[in-house]
Amino acid sequence: MYGWHGRLLRVDLTNQRTSVEEIDPQVSKDFIGGRGVAIRYLYDEVDPGVDPLSPENKLIFATGPLTGTTAPTGNRYMVVTKSPLTGALAHSNAGGHFPTWMKRTGFDLFIFEGRAAEPVYLWVDEDEVEIRSAAHLWGRDVPATTDALLAETDRNAKAACIGPAGENLVLMAAIMNDKDRAAGRSGVGAVMGSKNLKGVVVDGRKNPEFADDEAMRELSVTIAKEVGADMLAGSSLREYGTAYVPQVTNEFGILPTKNWQAGTFEGVDSIDGPTLTEKYLIKPKPCYRCPIACGRLSEVPEGKYAGKGEGPEYETISAFGSGCGVDDLAAVTKANYWCNELGMDTISTGMTIAAAMEMYEKGYIPEADIGQPLRFGDADTMIEMVQKMAYREGFGNELAEGSYRLAEKYGHPEVAVTTRKQEFPGYDPRGAQGMGLLYATSNKGASHMEGDVVYEELFGVPVKEDLMTTKGKGELVARFQDAFALIDSSGLCVFLALRYVFSKERMILPTRLSQLMKFTTGVDATPEEVLTAAERVYNLERMFLLKAGSTEDTLPPRMLNEPLPDGPAKGHVNRLHEMLPEFYKIRGWDENGVPTKEKLAELGLE
Amino acid sequence: MKIHVKLIATYRDHLPDGTQGNTATVDVLPGSSVADVLTPFGIPLDGSTVIAVNGLTVPLDTTVSEGDRVAAFSAIGGG
Repeated sequence: MYGWHGRLLRVDLTNQRTSVEEIDPQVSKDFIGGRGVAIRYLYDEVDPGVDPLSPENKLIFATGPLTGTTAPTGNRYMVVTKSPLTGALAHSNAGGHFPTWMKRTGFDLFIFEGRAAEPVYLWVDEDEVEIRSAAHLWGRDVPATTDALLAETDRNAKAACIGPAGENLVLMAAIMNDKDRAAGRSGVGAVMGSKNLKGVVVDGRKNPEFADDEAMRELSVTIAKEVGADMLAGSSLREYGTAYVPQVTNEFGILPTKNWQAGTFEGVDSIDGPTLTEKYLIKPKPCYRCPIACGRLSEVPEGKYAGKGEGPEYETISAFGSGCGVDDLAAVTKANYWCNELGMDTISTGMTIAAAMEMYEKGYIPEADIGQPLRFGDADTMIEMVQKMAYREGFGNELAEGSYRLAEKYGHPEVAVTTRKQEFPGYDPRGAQGMGLLYATSNKGASHMEGDVVYEELFGVPVKEDLMTTKGKGELVARFQDAFALIDSSGLCVFLALRYVFSKERMILPTRLSQLMKFTTGVDATPEEVLTAAERVYNLERMFLLKAGSTEDTLPPRMLNEPLPDGPAKGHVNRLHEMLPEFYKIRGWDENGVPTKEKLAELGLE
Repeated sequence: MKIHVKLIATYRDHLPDGTQGNTATVDVLPGSSVADVLTPFGIPLDGSTVIAVNGLTVPLDTTVSEGDRVAAFSAIGGG
């Protein structure tokens, strides 16, 4: 077998047993790998109605056929489970080094099930697999845990773990790997914490063989050279990381500001990429063998926000910066460091604090409940709240439930800007219509990683779209959702994939991605057939969502009824109703968003 | 008439020496187009650049008006 190992490691935490199983080659072929194969297993093995934090839920780590290959950025892994934040499907992915090392263990998937009686970690060195006690690590933060895990196993191994937030079942807890990379969204870290699984350490030398070694290496070099030329010509991603994006979204009036009460932020110049590069950047930090290097190794050298670590990226800046009305990049960066160390998603953490700030200022949350004022722009309190959330201390216990539950508890659910109870990433859909359709229909709740059409609407990749039109957005969103399902299943990073391995027409086709897959796995599939496999993945995820009971594709009232008060999109709301029918029709779903029998049959599902 | 030119991220290097921040104000003749405004800055005026006037995407031959803000950034990237 090429590309895939064709084996999974099942870890029964309740009984402290591990076992090795073969993966049906047809499943790998039909569902690609990574996110796709993982949803196949989750769908077959987990009742979608299960309590996400119960032993009956399962936690799946999955690599794709291109993970650990020569394909540039072929270094992602997916975490797939049922989310405690959304009650729907979670798929969160990360780069760093861990994914390639996981692939080298000789397993494509780890499936964690049950719940350990005491804290444990898993150590996988190829076929040497041990479940070890982590009692001495419980309570430690991510850097300390990672250092201890590697000291106890192998300095050359790589580790993923949870911090205090995951242990305390914070609903936006992340799983951190290589200290600073996050499988961030949907509370996957809380699921890991609920299983008393503190960490996973991996090492190995089992690189999968390629079906056509020469062709694979040749195409990989060709792509890497193209990326390299763009980087030399001057890439904003290399120079500034994604931190340059606040200027872009602010220009179009879609930068979330003060919990989505505005679309432009007057302090944008002090929280953007050039400010980060000039003041705090040590150097770009690439994931393993990545030619782009969007990661930021940074340091705030002095003052009350002093610290060192990775970040911030755009989403973190839009959440803790403009979202919370904070125009001090050092404070935003410090909040980012705390999230990394405590193991929390920066988007949901920042946006939940932003929602609380609005509710405090409007008098919906009494000061006595918080214990202190919580106003927009108060950076010190924001940072304090991050820490309280991770430990569920005081008002942090309310914030740890996310903005939807918080707003609902205080009788003002309209303040929460979420879909399926998950906080929006940093693009206001009142000024980027397609993003609204994406958030509303996303199987995992609001996420740019579900099919980031802002690439097309904002960055013109592959061709520029009009942000405000709704016609054609149904087809665009559906195609992007499938493209992202494919990218996530393959093991590539979206920053490479959309620009370099898809065709450059409006309705993108995975032209070179299908070649990479073919040279790796030996499965000769056309770009259209590969895209159909991705559509199969997306529809199976839809079926999981529907069975989990989250059926309504809509947006929060602020997006539908409250026009943006400022900027180029002033006066606009999201016109979801103009896009949804076209989207369902293109998808082959009925008017309620349910895949038709014909569509499921066409995809070989059910 | 005066036009504000905002060059974002890597394009900041194309602003005149001594520019504060990312925006320069230039004088152009009435009737000038977006292309006329941006050409002196030496940034590529093709698909590799995203251009907006007052936050809206417009064609390069659009005529600008007094006080308009013309923004441009490289399409190489993403969020």
